[in-house]
This record gives sequence, C-alpha cells and structure tokens, in this order.
Amino acid sequence: MTDNQNAAATCLDETQFDVMVIGAGIAGAESALKLGDMGYKVLLVEKEPSIGGKMILLSKVFPTLDCAACITTPKVSETARHPNITIHTLTEVDTIQRNADRHFSVQLTKKPRYVVEKDCTGCQECENVCPVITKDQFQFDLTARKAVYIPFNIANPRIALIDIENCMLCGACEKACPSNCIDFTQKEQQLQITAKSVIVATGFKLFDPISIERYGYGRYKNVITSMQMERELAPTRPYNNVLRPSDGKIPDKIAYVFCTGSRDHTVGNPICSQVCCMYSTKQAQLLMGALPMADISLYYINIRAFGKGYNEFYLQAKDMGANYVKGKIGKITEKENGNLILRFEDILTGKVTEKEHDMVVLSVGLLANPAITQVFKGEKLELDPINYIQQPNMLQSPAQTSLEGVFVAGTATGPMDIPDTIMSAGAAATETSSYLKRLS
Amino acid sequence: MKKKIGVYVCHCGGNISDYVDIEKVKDAVRDEADVFLVKNTLFACADSSQKMMEEDIKTQGLDAMVVASCSPKLHLNTFRGVAQRAGLNPYNYVQVNIREQDSWAHSDNPAGATEKAIQLVKAGIARAKESEALTSMKIATTNAVAVIGAGVGGMRTALGLADMGTEVYLIEKSFFVGGRTAQWGSVAPTNDRGDVLTAGLFNEIQKRSNIKLFTGAELIEKTGSVGNFDIKVKIHPRGFDGTATADDIQKAVKACPVSTTDEFNFGLTQRTAILTPQKGQYPQQPAIDKALCNQCGACQKINSAFQPASTNEEILTLHIGGFVANTGFDPYEPAKGEYGYGEIDNVITLPQLKRLIELNDNELVFKGKKVKKIAYIYCVGSRQDDDEGKNKYCSRYCCTSATHTGVTVKNKYKDILNYHFNRGIRTYGKAELIYGQASQQGDVFLQFTLDSIPQVERKHNKTYVKVKDILTAGKTIETDADLVVLVTGMVPRENVKLGHLLKIPEGRDHFFNEIHMKLKPVETVIDGVMIAGTSQAPKNILETLNSSMAAAAKVNSVLTKGELSLEPTLAKVNPGACTWCGKCAEACPFDAIVQVDNEGKMVAKVNESNCKGCGMCTPVCPTDAIDLDGFTNAQIGAMIDALAEL
Repeated sequence: MTDNQNAAATCLDETQFDVMVIGAGIAGAESALKLGDMGYKVLLVEKEPSIGGKMILLSKVFPTLDCAACITTPKVSETARHPNITIHTLTEVDTIQRNADRHFSVQLTKKPRYVVEKDCTGCQECENVCPVITKDQFQFDLTARKAVYIPFNIANPRIALIDIENCMLCGACEKACPSNCIDFTQKEQQLQITAKSVIVATGFKLFDPISIERYGYGRYKNVITSMQMERELAPTRPYNNVLRPSDGKIPDKIAYVFCTGSRDHTVGNPICSQVCCMYSTKQAQLLMGALPMADISLYYINIRAFGKGYNEFYLQAKDMGANYVKGKIGKITEKENGNLILRFEDILTGKVTEKEHDMVVLSVGLLANPAITQVFKGEKLELDPINYIQQPNMLQSPAQTSLEGVFVAGTATGPMDIPDTIMSAGAAATETSSYLKRLS
Repeated sequence: MKKKIGVYVCHCGGNISDYVDIEKVKDAVRDEADVFLVKNTLFACADSSQKMMEEDIKTQGLDAMVVASCSPKLHLNTFRGVAQRAGLNPYNYVQVNIREQDSWAHSDNPAGATEKAIQLVKAGIARAKESEALTSMKIATTNAVAVIGAGVGGMRTALGLADMGTEVYLIEKSFFVGGRTAQWGSVAPTNDRGDVLTAGLFNEIQKRSNIKLFTGAELIEKTGSVGNFDIKVKIHPRGFDGTATADDIQKAVKACPVSTTDEFNFGLTQRTAILTPQKGQYPQQPAIDKALCNQCGACQKINSAFQPASTNEEILTLHIGGFVANTGFDPYEPAKGEYGYGEIDNVITLPQLKRLIELNDNELVFKGKKVKKIAYIYCVGSRQDDDEGKNKYCSRYCCTSATHTGVTVKNKYKDILNYHFNRGIRTYGKAELIYGQASQQGDVFLQFTLDSIPQVERKHNKTYVKVKDILTAGKTIETDADLVVLVTGMVPRENVKLGHLLKIPEGRDHFFNEIHMKLKPVETVIDGVMIAGTSQAPKNILETLNSSMAAAAKVNSVLTKGELSLEPTLAKVNPGACTWCGKCAEACPFDAIVQVDNEGKMVAKVNESNCKGCGMCTPVCPTDAIDLDGFTNAQIGAMIDALAEL
C-alpha cells in the first residue's frame, strides 16, 4: 500500500500493526513481504524518500551479473502494492517503548515532502524549472540535482520532494506543477502507532575514505569510491559512459584499492566487509566490457571469493584479463595531469613498487549503523563489540536480539552480501511469526 | 480475436537499448493490425511504468497487452499482475523476451539484434491477438511439510515451521539426529559446543506436538504437486526396543564381535555393530547397524531389548503440502596420496582433528605420540581451479574453521605450534577477528599458489612440509610436523536417490540448485520443494540456520492460506474430433489423460488436477483434437506466420 493510500486512510486500524519493520532496504522489504504473505499486518518505516535501500542503486550484482534494478524493482513494487504492508517513507522512529501488554508504543516523525503525495504524477515539470543546483546524493555526488527532485528514476514511490535546506523558495515549481501538488505549508507529522513486534533492518553505513588522508580521497579528483563507480556503471548512469572526474577523459588504467576501511585497526574497523572483493571483481568485469582497451589492476590482501559461484566468478575475471596484484596500497600521490601514483609492497617480489594509473577506485567497506539503539526507551538493544546489533543466540536463533519481540535482519547484524541478506530476512520473518503466534 | 493491443518496449536501463534500437522497433510494429498503442519504458517493471500500463488498460480499454522486455521467468507474473489489477485477464498478456534471447545474445550485432527484436515483438502481437481469457482453478492445500534431514538446519526448519503452525514430519536417514554439528566441539565464531547446540534443538523438538520425528527413515515415493503431495516413508527397524539399562547396553556393545571404523570419529576409533549415540546425537538410544550385524545374538542374550533379527520395516503414508530438503554435506575425502593422506600415518583431515580434540582431554596425543607442531594445509578438495571437472568452488567455512581450530588447540593444550599453509585466508566478515587472534597467539601463516603446492614428505622418521612461500617473496620454507592436517572442503551428501525422487536440479558444483540466488534463494524449479543449508552450497552454521529459517518462512507463507491458484494453462480435448488412438495418453508424463465414454464414443479426457500444461500431448494428436489453453495451435500458428513474414 503506498503512502498515497495511507494518507486517505484514517481508520484506527492504521495505527495498529503486528510488526513494524525499520528500514526498507532489501532486508526489510523481504521480511515485510514474507510476513505480509503470511497474513500479518506490517508497517515498513523508511527514513529515505524511496524504498529499496542500497541495492536499488547498484549496477549489476555478482556472481550472476543480473542488473540490480531488474531484480530489486519487482521486490520493491510487490512490497509497495502488498495489501498487508503499509509504508511510511521520509519517516524516522523517535521512540519505542514496551507496554504492560508487551506490545510496543512507537512514536514516528514523518518529514514533510512539501509535495502532496497522492497528487504528484512524477512528471518532473517542477525539476525542469527549479533554478537550484546541488549535489545528487543518490548519484553519490557525481552529478547535480535540483532542490525539487525525484530521488532517482526507479524510486518508489516515484514522486517529487523538496530539499528545503537548499530551496530558495522562489515558487517556480509551484507555478509549473500541472497537478498543483507543491505545498510549502506541510509540517513534520508526529505519528503514534503500536506494534506487537519489531524487526530492525537498518542496514549499514558506507565507510567514508576521507579519513584515510594518504589515499587523497576528496583532494585528488580521480580517486573515487566503489559506490561512485557503481553509479558510473549502472543502467541509469549519470554520464552514459565511464569517465574520470577531473577532465571527463575515458580512463584506460584503472586501479582498485581493496580493504579501504576494512581489516584496518587504524580506522577502527578490524573486520572484513565481506562484499568488497566480489563487488570490485564484478566492477572489473563490467569495466572490461564497457572499456575493452582499459587495463584494470586490483590491489588486494586476500581475495575473499567464498560464496556459491564466487570463486568461479573471480577466476572468470582473471581469465578476462583483470590484473590482480597482491599488495596493500600504502599511499597515493597525484600528478599534475591528474594521474595517480600508487605505492605498495608487491608481495610477489617483496619490493616496494610504484605504479601509475589514471583513475583509482577505493573499494570501501561496510560499517555498523547503530543509531537505532537510541530509540528504545526503558530497555537496551545490545550491540556487539563492533557496533552491529548483537545476536545473543547467534547459533540457535540468529534473528533474536537482546530484547524480546525485537528481531534483526540483514546487514544490521554484520556485513553480508545480497543472498545472505535475503536469507537472514527470511529467518527474521520466521522468528517474528513464531513470536506472534506465541503472543496470541 | 483481440482488437486493441497495447505494446510496450522496454529499454531495461541500457540492457536492451544499448544494442536494440527501441525507436526502430516501435516504428516497425506501430502499424501492425489491431495494435492500438506502442510505448517505450526505461524499466517496464518499475512501479511507475506498471501504473502507466494500468492507466492505459483502464482508460484506453485495451483488450490485450504485450511487453517486450526480459525473460518471462523474471517478470511474467509482474505484468500478469498489472493486467489483473487493471481489469484485463492476465492471460491476455504476452511477454516477449528481447533481452536474454536478443540484446544479451547479440551484443556484437546491434542491427541484427534490432531486426530480431522486431520479429519477436510481431510474433508476440500475433499471439496476443489469438489470446483468450483464462481462469485459474483454486485447490485446497495441506499445511504440513516434510523436512528431509535432521542436522542443525533441518531441526531449525522444523522448529520454525512448527512454531508458525505448520505440521512437520522430520525425516532423518540415520538413527540419530544432530548431523555434522554433533561431531564438532567448539565452533566458530561463538565457541558454542556443537553437541550442546544439537541437544538444545532436539529438546525443543521434543516439546512440539506438531513435529513428528522419524529416524532411520527415508523417503521412498512421492506423487502429487505443491499443496498436496502424497509420500511414502520407509522406517528401518532400530533393533532396540528402548528398555535396556545403560549398564546392559554397555555390556552388549562389549559383547558384539563385529568391529569397523567409527564414522562419527572419522575413522579415528572403532565401533561395533551396535550404534551407540554420542554426545549431541539423539535419541540417546542405541540402534543395530543391520548392514554389519552377523546375527550372532550376543547382544540379545544380555538383554532382549536388542532385537538384531527384527525385520519389520514400516511404511508410512503421509499427506503433505511441501518439502524442505536439508540434507547437508560430507567432508571432502582426500585421495590416497593427496598430500600423503593414507600413506603417511600422521596426515589427517580437519574433521579428524576436531574429533581428536574431543577425544584428548589433557594433552593432544595422536597414535601414542604427543603432538606439538601442527601443519594445516588449506583448500584440500576446494578451489581446484585448473582441473576440469573437479571442485572449483571455495568451501567457504574452512579458513574460519581451521584458524578457529588453531586457536582452540592452543587454548586447550600447552606448547602447540600451528603452521597454516594457505592460499590466502578467507576469514570473511567478523571471522577476521579469529584470524587476528590466531596471528596474535603466534600461529605462522605461509601462502602458496596452485602452481607450487606444499610437499609432504617422510624423512628421518619425521614428517616434513615444504612450501614456496609467497609471503616471503618465494622463499622455500620447510618445517617438521607431528600432525599434518588437511583442511578439507565440503561436498554434497550422497543423496542421488532423493534428488531424483524430488527432481531437484544440481548446479555445476553438484550441490542442489535454487531458482535464483537473490529472488528465490530457497526455492527450486519444482513448486513446493525448497532447499536449505549445505545441501545448496557450503555454509557455516549461522548461514545454515538463516537459510533453513528462510525456507521455513517461504513454505509456510505458501501453505498457510489453505489454498493455491493453479495455472489455467491446461490441455483440453475436443471430443468431436477425438478418435481415441491413445497417443496423447502415451505422451503425457503426468498420467493426466484418461479414456472416457462420451455418448457411446471412446475419447480422451484431461484430468485437470494432474495436467501441468507441458504440451507434450498436442503435437502427437493426429486429428488436432487436443489443444493447450494459453498456447493454442492457433496462437503458435500465428506466431510462426509472423516470424516467417520477412
């Protein structure tokens, strides 16, 4: 059920749910779908303006090279249309408090879109006239967007919102909108709901490599993150080709720096992020397809190609000509022409070596996203030592948390890839349904 | 005949439009008879595109729809749903595959791909013209599931299902539940004990009245389809009626003259023909190994609870709605001579070391000798990159398990030195911390490539392992070792019979194959048959539990409603034209065609609940009396005509 329909619904039932799922990425959506299919009433809360999380923004996914959009959109639109699932986007959970009857009282804040959801047709007339240009966070700052915008082409719901912090309040969009749905008077809405159970599917944060100064991210224009490369390769790519940022040249010597922000005590993240070896290998394959003449070098510590079909996928990349170099990059320096010099110990020769590339992709890791623990009042949602949601019965009931009736799905428990995330979300659905049966 | 057809041609981002000229395709089909509108979409499957199609159907009154996009395997149901929501019969929708069968296949030839797309779309339009509205039949389903295999995964599936209200038949081939996990002591990453984990699961199963556990049991027959399977389960006699005292059991085991290697300890110890449950195996009741027992009667003399001669096999008939196959893995068994295995007596496997740790409390002793130096050789039976037909896959759990075992032995015994001969440690995720722990405690890691694998040699009465270590720029390093441990990977359990019975496809790695890793990770192409745990691919315990519970969620969500819609694409007979030659009945793989009397004339009739709409019957009919709804002769003929028109 979309936000539009919610707005129209005013009956008391719209505040009482069997389960509230926090986070509408692929984990949250999968848990919601399974529980919805079982007949439970599900509230899906998402702080971003679109559901689909990180996955919907990816290019193709390993090891099958399906386009991510093609396999995310059916799940996302099935979720949005499901009769048992209510979705609130642009909504954050403020507090969760357990009542005497064991149900949870939840306070939500729904941020204003400044666009009447049910009237917006997604025609983008407003975007055309908006004079403001600002960074597009859904393209990871590779391109610009307007202050009134549709998050991205396959966003769900595909309706506009106004970034009020950057808006000049010029009113151009209001005049241009054919369905009169721009509404600057919208206010934050406080919503009070109750839920019998909660699934935490709040995902991960991407490591920001700006803190590793020796890699020059943020200073050297041609050092980008893997998520930015993901966008350059996506079907809805911003430049319709792979270009390096400094001069728009098509790169022909691209380097990947593995373990950026992972397996690294100096940045406080000692663990392996589990997905970077594989997504980098996938990007290498896509790049070799898009730029047949380009050299792709991948600087790694160990290749962690462990899942079903992953090792085979890694071998395929090597066969296609990807140049895997065992050696951790120590330092990157920029030349005047924008090219980059990578310094590393080449493990095979044991010598410190320097190599020049014209573009560098930092294979950034995954970090815990523990903010959600703050909303639980009167009891504590425990974290593990690396700030992921603790699984006190990891090898018996992996979806259980330290709190009864609160379950966890996907990368909120630790780094994992998409297939593992879907499985974990299914496990959370089973655990939640079992709990709800016991409760009734 | 349909007169108002809507045609949508999808860019699929660039997946199609990078190779197929979408505008050209649109122009070429715009003037086809009965085509009312032609549009393109960036992503036809996106919600906004779906809404547009719904609007078109409603406001323009379309009577059929064609979407030219990806494989119907991916989105047939998506667009049937669009039709349904807009009030158009879903079977008046036709999907044309111009991605997998066109743009991706002909990425080297855009002009040809465009030409082919035009032909395919024209054929789709021809089929849509001839399409007829069909109605699904609803059938009642049974909310009961057979879970095959009672290791940690199978037991967890069973508990999940039972707690969601599904009746469970838990079918275990051996006489004890617990699977592989019962064999492990401390397991990664939590240091829980494997036998404690299986004990906990078994206790919970005992508490559930809606789980029926059968040990010594195997599935022998299956008929029916999703929602309603009839199965037969053979229960082998245990040869023990449960009444003997622990003392008598011990005496009987002593009295048994048969001796063989004990598979629970991976051959480190011997056992008799009386199988006694180990820690973590349940029920804690012995059973007689019929294949080995020589019927000497020694055990029976001690206590009549032992009945070695018992042959009363029981056959149970059960009615269920679905299956979860959770049949697990076997450790890879190295070939004789592989790194000295089977030839040098202190070369063992990692599973053997795990048992050895359980059998040795205070000091680690192997064959009477105290063990101080252990050399682990990784990737044995995995990542055999350059050998066709071997295991190219990574077994996923072994790096973590071996480093964790290194930490475990060092903690349990004094003065152990661990040398890890690896091919790049793959302790992914949080398991990296275990690798860190092993490094910090002084374990030595040496790395090799497939081009120069470690050499295991016996000389001067000692076993040596030698390797060209890439971490020291290719220096040759050698160490002696009291124990050489081959870190063996996973291979699927020998369960060819079950695979055949349930018709579960295997992947190139011979593990069971899911439909789609991300969209349908626990479903197989056989409706109602799910797979979970290591039957699908190597997994650790956590991953096994997640997939087992995900399979429970899926099968429960299908069966809990109590009814299912069947595909209405069924064969139908025109009794006027039928002369009952019997050819269709012979061709039918599902026994769906029977002979009936129709006003004095013998004709064929289709049993709709058996018919799967496979179409085997239609081409063999000499009088064209049998036709398949949704794929009628008229539709197929029209498509061929359209394709032939150049």
